[in-house]
Amino acid sequence: MEDKEILEKFANPDSRNLAFNQLIRKYQQKIYWHVRKMVIDHDDADDLTQEVFIKVWKNLENFRQDAQLYTWLYRIATNECLTFLSSKRKKFFLPINDVAAELTEKIDSSPNIDGDEIQLKLQKALLRLPDKQRLVFNMKYYDELKYEEISEILGTSVGALKASYHHAVKKIEEFIKQD
Amino acid sequence: MKNDFKLSDLPKRNIYEVPDKYFDRLPAQIMERTAGAGYSPAPWYAAAWKPLKLAMAPLVLLLVAGIVYFSQLRQEKEEPGVVLATVGDEAIMDYLSTYAVLESSDFADMTTLSNPEMTAEFLNVSSTAAEEELEYYRLDTIDY
Repeated sequence: MEDKEILEKFANPDSRNLAFNQLIRKYQQKIYWHVRKMVIDHDDADDLTQEVFIKVWKNLENFRQDAQLYTWLYRIATNECLTFLSSKRKKFFLPINDVAAELTEKIDSSPNIDGDEIQLKLQKALLRLPDKQRLVFNMKYYDELKYEEISEILGTSVGALKASYHHAVKKIEEFIKQD
Repeated sequence: MKNDFKLSDLPKRNIYEVPDKYFDRLPAQIMERTAGAGYSPAPWYAAAWKPLKLAMAPLVLLLVAGIVYFSQLRQEKEEPGVVLATVGDEAIMDYLSTYAVLESSDFADMTTLSNPEMTAEFLNVSSTAAEEELEYYRLDTIDY
């Protein structure tokens, strides 16, 4: 179903629930994987994905249709991830590296992760990047979004995103070469 | 690890997994929560508020520029005489006695001074001498 049709149905109180259910089914996987790659743990990703859709439910009527619906959803999900990681640091008075170490440990111990050595090492290399650079990398490399779309989501210039992605790739390659 | 490792050589793969039928259950879980969260439709002004917020800064700037422009325009229009009327006589006298080259006749029509002796002071004559001087002129013979 097209986004426009979902939004029209959502505007009608009689078909609101049906439309929102369709919206969840259409975007749940994109949002979940976007969140999961940032927070690593499935339970955290599950909580945050639900929070994202609750926020969407509350604010969908204010959504301006001059933007794409999925970039708006990505923006909400991105903000939720950044807030979660930031509050994790504040809650436990952790520096950035300790949060990265905690997430790295989850990669080694979580039952819901299955990859060969090089793939695990790639994920650990990603955790060494600053949060926003990791977001840019994930959206470009895994989600294959265009820089213009990422720019709309993060509110950053295309030039800055290109530089950020380029630096991220270099850092990851250097990290993997170290062994 | 190879020293010539390139990320582009590595096949893209999602190593994360979810519990069985997770995505089948998720919509129902979220819908259950939306029922609890309730739906509050946006107020009528919500749609207009966002563009209004964006326009607020240039509008305020325009307003300030307009106020400055019109106040300057008003100041320019005021007659010098009107502006001068707001200045007290004593202040004018102070200014003139400091900066201007004056003659006795300049003080002739300063009748509103609170202290009449001040005129005499400026003329640098005693009041007796001034009276004598006035007696010298016969006012009824002076042509205007």
